[in-house]
Amino acid sequence: MSTPLPPDKSTVQGLIMRGYTHPYSSHLLFRFSSKAAASQFIKALLPYLRSAENWGTNKPDKMLNIGLTFTGISIASSLTKTELNAFPNTFTTGPASQGSQGSLQDYGEGDPEKWLFGGLLTNGNPDPAKRVDAIVHSYAMHQNSLNELTDFIAKAATAAGVVELLPLDGGKGRLEQYQLPVDTIHFGYRDGISEPDLNWPETWPAPPVNTDPADLNNFLIGYPNSAFQPGPSNPATPNASAFAKDGCYNAFRVLYQDVNAFDKYLSDNAPVVAQTLGKSTEYAKEWLAAKLNGRWRNGSPLILSPDAPDPATADATNFSYTEDTKGLKCPFSAHTRVGNPRDEALFPAESPVPRLIRRGVPYGAPPVSDNDKGERGLIGLFLCGALASQFELIYSWINTNNFSPLFSPNFDTQDALLANRATPDMDTTFTIPIPGAAKPLVLPKLPQFIVARGTAYCLLPSIPTLKAIAEG
Amino acid sequence: MANPLTLYVPIKQDPLTQAAAQAAYESFVDSVKAGLDASNILHYARVALVPNPSGEGILGILLITTFDGEMNPYLKFFWQNEGTRKAFAGIAAIALNPPSPPVTDLTGFENFINENNLNKRSKDLYKGYTQSVLQIKAAFPPK
Ligand code: HEM
Repeated sequence: MSTPLPPDKSTVQGLIMRGYTHPYSSHLLFRFSSKAAASQFIKALLPYLRSAENWGTNKPDKMLNIGLTFTGISIASSLTKTELNAFPNTFTTGPASQGSQGSLQDYGEGDPEKWLFGGLLTNGNPDPAKRVDAIVHSYAMHQNSLNELTDFIAKAATAAGVVELLPLDGGKGRLEQYQLPVDTIHFGYRDGISEPDLNWPETWPAPPVNTDPADLNNFLIGYPNSAFQPGPSNPATPNASAFAKDGCYNAFRVLYQDVNAFDKYLSDNAPVVAQTLGKSTEYAKEWLAAKLNGRWRNGSPLILSPDAPDPATADATNFSYTEDTKGLKCPFSAHTRVGNPRDEALFPAESPVPRLIRRGVPYGAPPVSDNDKGERGLIGLFLCGALASQFELIYSWINTNNFSPLFSPNFDTQDALLANRATPDMDTTFTIPIPGAAKPLVLPKLPQFIVARGTAYCLLPSIPTLKAIAEG
Repeated sequence: MANPLTLYVPIKQDPLTQAAAQAAYESFVDSVKAGLDASNILHYARVALVPNPSGEGILGILLITTFDGEMNPYLKFFWQNEGTRKAFAGIAAIALNPPSPPVTDLTGFENFINENNLNKRSKDLYKGYTQSVLQIKAAFPPK
């Protein structure tokens, strides 16, 4: 078998390899009625479809990328049943399935029966009215341009007989990015700092024995090696492998953020933190926000700046947890330490640390009062080569911090920001080790800060694959 | 939280397949021990041969395990371990309804396990205790 070379950037959708910095975006959900309709719709969108090629100084004013769920692929492609069976089970059964729910643990308000899209009926079957076949991620430099682009997409859908799902505002609103200060998300943190390098393994084309999980070949389908095999890649189904090649999976997950609950948690606990540290309550709030996340709100990692945020470390991505074996700088359950434990010791079945490309943006305006229950949160795009062993493995760590011998087996805590607190048998306190103190600070029950509003597992197919669908 | 995997695979009736099933049964614990030990998430795993209703020959292979955490994120670990990979690939190879496409890679392995798992929900499992394998091993270190 010939060894594959790195992909041509013109074949890969731009979203995968580049972090766009367009300030305006909208993420439109669609349901196909037939193969012909899907083909006509995708053909109409091709002029704005963006590849990973460099745009130089000429940043496109309007552009888009397209994701297809398994139901979308089943309708839009010419793949046979056996070929469709070659896709990974986690993708074909989707995020509301029993298998995925074991990791995502969407209980209570986040139950798939309550999802705004991609969810289930009360009998446990997929809700046909909420089925998502395609997501069109549209990006623009100006609000006007975004409006023009979304109008264009919506008209193309209507012309093709493709139905748009409007998940927000009781079935009237789209998932549109809200303009918070650059790179900031609700809760006031800077985001989008730490991303996988997406290098091509140096030893390629000699198949690497153990590639770095942050390498591009572990995100793109079609470059299997001994450590990672993003599928489908079965030689018995070459059409499925060719369809998926140079694509990447996207766990599209909309997460409501309860900003008032978050602010209240900081205010309620600030006095005890201030007393423990001998500092002001204002400092205590910022310190606690940093301990929940692992980075201060300006971005400085606790490992490099344990006592105060520092502009010099705000963008730092190169740091290690090996020295912090007791969590004295960064608590074990801090969100970024769970999402990427880096060089922390892991149990064998958990390693190597999987990586995710994160391309999420905030939606919804910040609250104007303490009772404001308006919709707001993160339109999450979590890209990976394998949904089960990357996205869902990290999600299972988020819900149960049991992956490292440093703090397991008798520390059944959860990600301080994210987990579903109704996950069975979990300890929902937040333990913050304090240098020089005899005992760690243990704060009472972490509230439900984040609620899943909907999830769809998509393939971001290659540009040749989308063109082939457009040709019918 | 512990979860169940109950893999039931009806097998072909020809003598070669029947002998292969018997051999898989005999060597099961030896083949999977190293992989399951290393995973530190398996409480118990056992295999049984389900007899044909006539009493003659084997109808299918039944593999029953109880493990900590979720199944799908960990299948990569078991596919990368030679012993567990061979044991599962051996069962797939003698299935009456062979997996289509055949199991040649991690994706095929994940699909085979999921399609033949009779217990997908943790609520199917009675738990006499809630501790994980790691917690039990830590509390009762091997002598
Ligand atoms: C609304 C929900 C979420 C919020 C508010 C949030 C917040 C943050 C913040 C503030 C950072 C630090 C910025 C950076 O390192 O780039 C971060 C990093 C990260 N988050 Fe999240 N996040 C959310 C959801 C998720 C989910 C669902 C996952 C995984 C499934 C995840 C995985 C990660 C990872 C892997 C990192 C990078 C850590 C590193 O490389 O050091 N996040 N998140």
